[in-house]
Amino acid sequence: MNEMSPILEVTNLKVHFPVSGGGTVHAVDDVSFSIKKGVAFGLVGESGSGKTTTALGCVKLVDSIAGQIKLEGNDITNLQGEALRQARRNMQIVFQDPYASLNPRERVGSIVKRPLNLMNIGTTEEREKRVAELFETVGLRPEQRDLFPHQFSGGQRQRIGIARALATQPKLIVCDEPVSALDVAIQAQILNLLVRLKKEFDLTYLFISHDLAVVQHICDEIAVMYLGQIVERGSKREIFNNPRHPYTKALISAVPSAGSIGKPKTDRITLQGDPPSPISPPDGCRFASRCPYAQSACRVKMPSLKTVGGSHTVACLRVDQDGNFI
Amino acid sequence: MSTPLLSVQNLDVAFQIEGSEVPIIRDLSFEVSYNEVLGIVGESGCGKSMTALALMGLVPNPPGRITNGSILFEGRDLAKVSEPQMQSIRGNEISMVFQEPMTSLNPVYTVGEQIAETARAHFNIGRAEAKDRAVEMLKLVGIPSPERRFDDYPHQMSGGMRQRVMIAISLICEPKLLIADEPTTALDVTVQAQIFDLFKELQEKIKTSIILITHDIGVVAEMTDRVMVMYAGRKIEEGPVADFIQNPRHPYTKGLISCIPTLQENPPEIPVPLFEIPGVVPSASELSRPGCAFAPRCSQKMDRCANLFPQTVELATGRIVSCWLEMEENA
Repeated sequence: MNEMSPILEVTNLKVHFPVSGGGTVHAVDDVSFSIKKGVAFGLVGESGSGKTTTALGCVKLVDSIAGQIKLEGNDITNLQGEALRQARRNMQIVFQDPYASLNPRERVGSIVKRPLNLMNIGTTEEREKRVAELFETVGLRPEQRDLFPHQFSGGQRQRIGIARALATQPKLIVCDEPVSALDVAIQAQILNLLVRLKKEFDLTYLFISHDLAVVQHICDEIAVMYLGQIVERGSKREIFNNPRHPYTKALISAVPSAGSIGKPKTDRITLQGDPPSPISPPDGCRFASRCPYAQSACRVKMPSLKTVGGSHTVACLRVDQDGNFI
Repeated sequence: MSTPLLSVQNLDVAFQIEGSEVPIIRDLSFEVSYNEVLGIVGESGCGKSMTALALMGLVPNPPGRITNGSILFEGRDLAKVSEPQMQSIRGNEISMVFQEPMTSLNPVYTVGEQIAETARAHFNIGRAEAKDRAVEMLKLVGIPSPERRFDDYPHQMSGGMRQRVMIAISLICEPKLLIADEPTTALDVTVQAQIFDLFKELQEKIKTSIILITHDIGVVAEMTDRVMVMYAGRKIEEGPVADFIQNPRHPYTKGLISCIPTLQENPPEIPVPLFEIPGVVPSASELSRPGCAFAPRCSQKMDRCANLFPQTVELATGRIVSCWLEMEENA
């Protein structure tokens, strides 16, 4: 493997779902991005924007109808059967709901050991040792292995989910809203754990969240999605210090902040209405119907992502090559 | 000072759990003035929602009941009124918006019928007039083409739309007090911004007082006038919103504010570790223990914290803290 080749490289990924009575849900349309080793890549957007479907497409849990997915340079787009199962060793998921994602009738030690058994990693003793080690890594006591999931709190369960995801030493970990089901005080514990693990083991995250503050805290690079497409992509600084797409600006300005006591922010861009239906998305810019800056051209021509400096790309007809608003 | 709209005094709510009576809300006193927004914050399991249910007369009985105290709403004690009386108050004068817009609406009736039903239950009006009022209300909460959406079923609407319908139902009788229990937790930020704009607008228009239950400090800052912090069924701190955010006194409040990542204009490349409140909220069975319930998680606990709940210290008018540290400093 080339030192510089990214862990995950997604090109023109499309995921469509048929709906009863004809028609197609355009869940993900032409999404491209790559994630380098040791980077936390965040996908943000409103519900229904295709964040989770994109991530599931990347790890082959839903089928794409077009595009290419490369994991460490190897094309996994069309893997099936045993070859796909073996590839799963390198891509693991931390799920949103720590109550639904652990088998209630299985002891948690066995839950964490299961990936090792399935992938046939190490001897029985080595597996036991690894599980004990994983428990310590995520801040649980090894002797808690014999308990059942219901004997743990939400935060502890999420730690178990993280230990399970780490078990096979995957190249890529997908974190799908890993803290949104947790209580506020517990969120901090899990976020700190994810940051520490990333540093300690040089982990690579594909991180999905609707909470911009959480994404800003944990992610190095960010892609903003709207109705199945990436509308802006860049480093944490590029996205938060200098957002260019009107949707990104609206999203950031909508977050209530502790600094604005007693009054909403004056520069808030309030979006009207809801996103259009993904069953028949508009031909032009998909955001045009809610965009305060849309012109007639926006409703006809679909903007493509263009670079506006560094790693910062934007898909908006009203932003020029230098990132200026025209 | 004029009489407040709502005055809760020494409220106790207890639940029968496995044969013993467990105090879920203890010695809770607070007031809500006319046209005021009071925020209630705390982790889940701290008694926020149970407080709301107590005000609505909806504490599930059995196993729960109000064991002590009074809830004075414009002079009437809601803890003592009969169920038929409560029914005429509920929805009419106090109404509530729940957290989950999907499960709070009936899936087999159109949203219009559900709004009109509320109007007909509380006013002596016919179907046609109820429908007119419902359409009007749908328009007020910002639902486009309300005449057409009147006939939609809940599943045909997005989460934001459904929450607007819930708000329409709760406001159609122009209540004096609206209790909103995490009304935007299930919604996207852009929709949340719309809902809060709507709250502000309605508050101006119909002078409703609001109790806003939330754990989002940003929301508290933007929406509320005063804040009450609850832990393990007790009020541990109360004060104007600016004091709450800029000068929190109780270790729990301090932790709650600093453990949440906030959106920054110039984020650091490498994340600064967040403050962690260790442990979890006590379970119901641990609530009967003496002392300060927060002590096991508190970094500044002293010997006496384990045995005795601290008295309430009033630092200034309406600025209240219950912590031994305060008593120490003021001694």
